[in-house]
Amino acid sequence: MEKLNILVVEDDKLAQKVMAAQLAAHNVDLAGDLKTALKKLETGRYDLGFFDLMLGPGDDYSGLKAIPRAVDKGLYAVVVSSSDSDEMIDKAYEAGAGDFYAKGNEERNVADILQKFLQHRKAAGAADIFADAFITQDPETKAAAAEALKYAPTELPIVILGPSGTGKTSLAKILHEHSGRDGAFVAINCSAYSEDLLEAELFGYKKGAFTGASEARKGRLLEAHKGTLFLDEIGAMSLNMQTKLLKALEERSFYPLGSEKPERSEFRIISATLEDPQALIAQGKLRFDLFHRVHGYTITLKPLARRRCDIFPLVLHFTKTGRRLAFTPEAREFMGSYAWPGNIRELKKFTDLVAGGPGGRVSLETAQKHLKGRAAGPAGSPAAGPAGEDLYAYALAHGLEAALDKVSAEIIKRNLDENEGSRTKTLAALKISTRLLYATLKKSGDKI
Amino acid sequence: MTADPSKLLHDLRSKCSSLKSAAELYKDCSAPEKKEMLALMKAAAAEITKTLAELEAVN
Repeated sequence: MEKLNILVVEDDKLAQKVMAAQLAAHNVDLAGDLKTALKKLETGRYDLGFFDLMLGPGDDYSGLKAIPRAVDKGLYAVVVSSSDSDEMIDKAYEAGAGDFYAKGNEERNVADILQKFLQHRKAAGAADIFADAFITQDPETKAAAAEALKYAPTELPIVILGPSGTGKTSLAKILHEHSGRDGAFVAINCSAYSEDLLEAELFGYKKGAFTGASEARKGRLLEAHKGTLFLDEIGAMSLNMQTKLLKALEERSFYPLGSEKPERSEFRIISATLEDPQALIAQGKLRFDLFHRVHGYTITLKPLARRRCDIFPLVLHFTKTGRRLAFTPEAREFMGSYAWPGNIRELKKFTDLVAGGPGGRVSLETAQKHLKGRAAGPAGSPAAGPAGEDLYAYALAHGLEAALDKVSAEIIKRNLDENEGSRTKTLAALKISTRLLYATLKKSGDKI
Repeated sequence: MTADPSKLLHDLRSKCSSLKSAAELYKDCSAPEKKEMLALMKAAAAEITKTLAELEAVN
């Protein structure tokens, strides 16, 4: 572990000794009163500070006064105090403290604080993702990715939702790179394996565990130790396999196939699915308890057809180091209205195809040739126009039934808004049954 | 001057917490550290007894 410079502001000799022992691997400086603390802050260089609030019997919480000075000097201030009333906690955060812990649990808390501090510092030093890792100019997608990034250095499991080819794996990798974790990013696509193979892949096996197991092999769970395990298409996993995975996640240990010796692995889970997890649970395809174990923060990536402003920046990104392309206005228009059912993956394939072609200037004919059979619907058809395109892409990604549900929900929402939430007026205006209205409201949760 | 009971209680909690943390740490200390730790723990225990007496006096 990196050696940190730490200031401990604590009047109690025994507490000083406890902190010094807990922080023995680092450079620790002690201050027993406010005056000494301020002097040390003026002259010393510290990464982190632990602050008690009441410095001596009858003291008027003078430790609080050292916190703003420490924060000004760039320290991450952590309060460890017995003065843990709501009022004091609030005052400490107001003064600039980054964390507040009640005294008495130092053995467990100090190690967690240090790990969290180092993870955040490593994450803060990572590159700007929008420069070359996650290309988007879509404000909604950018905001969603930036928000997800805030959770990168935490232990919180993350679920990435979105149609196939929208960049779920890339985002998972970026989140890992910004997590400050020392271990590897290990990805597995659950839909690519049969149940037996998936079990062997995840848990590993001993030599001779099954026919063909000529050598022992480490499973992905163990490879992800101290890192991130990315489970793509988690909904494709069999219920039996989900039960086994849940057990391993809860116990943080598992048995490789053919082994009687348990293996331990600590990793962060990021999972992804192109289907609606709630629908998968309702259909009995996804265990409710597993979903809640892997579900902390959720980010949804929109299909490319709903972030059309990203088409040409992505093309530029794909060709940045190779042959550059130009597109005729007609080709641009066609690409801009195309449904892109395969999303970014399809755009990448298309770019590779045209970049490898005879001319660097891409005409409408060339674009249509490589995207034939999937052009936008004819003018006047229900799926024409920007909204129709979005809906068409949504239907391709989620199925027709889901797309129709989406249309119903949007129309009902708009009408409810126009009628200031009056359900009676909406029932009359849209000529729908009470049953349909309430079923739509229930399906949409709090969104309507 | 009469001591503030809330500050006495805070002091008591603080010292008890330190004693608890020190007791948890004690087993992992080297022999010289154990000696030093024990002396500090005894001093903290004496302070706790003193604070308890003060608390008793104000009640």
